[in-house]
Order: sequence, then structure tokens, then C-alpha cells
Amino acid sequence: MTEPDAVDADRKLLERIRAGDPDAFEAFVDRWGDRILGFGLRVCGEREDARDVAQETLIQAYRGLADLQHPRAMKSWLYRVAANACLMKRRRSKFAPRRELSLDELMPTNPQEAEASVPDVSALPDDELERSELRRTVRDAIAELPDHNRIVLVLRDMEQLSTAETARALDLPESTVKMRLHRARVALRNRLAGIYGPGDHDTEGGP
Amino acid sequence: MSHDHGARECRELFARLSEYVDGELPEDLCAGIEGHLDDCPPCRCFLESLRRTVRLVERMPRPRMSEALRAELLEAWRRGR
Repeated sequence: MTEPDAVDADRKLLERIRAGDPDAFEAFVDRWGDRILGFGLRVCGEREDARDVAQETLIQAYRGLADLQHPRAMKSWLYRVAANACLMKRRRSKFAPRRELSLDELMPTNPQEAEASVPDVSALPDDELERSELRRTVRDAIAELPDHNRIVLVLRDMEQLSTAETARALDLPESTVKMRLHRARVALRNRLAGIYGPGDHDTEGGP
Repeated sequence: MSHDHGARECRELFARLSEYVDGELPEDLCAGIEGHLDDCPPCRCFLESLRRTVRLVERMPRPRMSEALRAELLEAWRRGR
């Protein structure tokens, strides 16, 4: 769905909610349920927590939707409610690093490390990616990121929020969003390059 | 290559690469980055691997809400109304 279509879908949904349509909650769940569940799973890491987050977020957010000024604000606002629900569930990840690496430390200065490659999935069909070992490796590598960087990566690169929308959802300056996103992407890239590089790995599924 | 990889200019470029990938930098900065990339194979390879990483994350499959959870959610909503 393109951005204007998505805003239009949210505008129609808001109109139904404001008009008191009894089926509007179901339509809201159909439109946002999978996304909020996925967000909860990727941020919390536990299926049980993600179910709770989805349930709490969808019910709590729905109650406040009628007061929303503009459909364009719906996405940031939903993820804001969901992010807060995830925070309430927060437990220290067993993978969480003890100390976060600085950007300088994350930079591969050795040319060999800088040139190590990451698999190219441009031409890989969805179902093959879904079955692949690569998918599990990426999922686990994302889980190992520090929480505050992972949540930005999930919003920007998985949920496709813009920098401004992510900043509003997390109540952060845009510069902080950009910095955390970059750290998350570089840490992930280094992890994958450490597993799959050096050499080229076009569209292959396993290490 | 007129410098060793890891030089100050590589570090400056490295810090802005996600913004470059996302098209969030002004044109003059992009031109500077592209000039450096022409001259620095390690930075060029790193950028390509960063792009592939972003594509991989974007392509990760989204879980779907099960029918059971959907039914539970609709029931919780009806009870709470």
C-alpha cells in the first residue's frame, strides 16, 4: 500500500470510529493487528509478551483514536502506545551487550573486514527467505542489539516509519533516531559479515 | 587509493552512511561522499554490505495474528465496552 493509500485507509477508519460503527474495531484489528503483533515480537522477543502488547495496544489505542486530529498521526501514535507497552514488559535480554560499542569501535578499519560481504536477497523469493537459515540468523542478530537501538531499527526498517514518525513515536530528537538507527544497522552488518563474509554470497540461504 | 582505509575522511563518511542510504543528506554532501567512494574500495564495499543489510531487515517476514488471538482480542473488546 502506498503512503497516500495508507493515509486514506486510516482516514476512512477514523470516520467509521467517529460515527460509532460497531464493526470498526474489527476493521482496525484487521488493518493494524499483524503490524502491532510483529512490532511487539521483535521488540520484546517473547511471543507471550507480544500477545499482551498487541492486546493492550489495540484496545487502549482504539479508545483514544476518535480524538486524533489527523489520520496521518495514527501510525506514530499507535507505535507510541505499543512502544510504551513493550517498555512495561521490559526484561533484560539474555543477549543484551554489557557495554554498547561506540561508532568508532563499530567501524571496521581493517580493509578485509570492511570488504566482507553480506548476502544479497534482492532476487530471493519471499517463501525461500522465510524457510532459510539466513532468516533465523538475522532474527537472532536483531535480538542481540541493545534495546534502544533495536526499537529504532524495527520502526524504521521493518515497520517503515519515517525518521520524523519514529521520533514522534519514541519522543526522541530526529538526530538521536538517526544515530541509533546507524549503530543498529552497522552492528547488524558486522555480525552478518562476520558470519557470511568474506566473499560474495548472492541470494544464498545458509552460511 | 590516495589514503589508507580508516583515515579521517573514511570515519567522517562512515558516520553518515545510513543517512546517505536513506537519501537524507543534502546534495553537496552526497557529492563529497561519492567522490570518496570512487577512491576507496573498502568504504565502497562497506556501503554495499550496509545496503544489503537494510534490504535483509526490510524483507524479514512479518508474523500474522492467529485466528485464536484475533478472536480473543475481539472478545476482550466486547467485554470491555
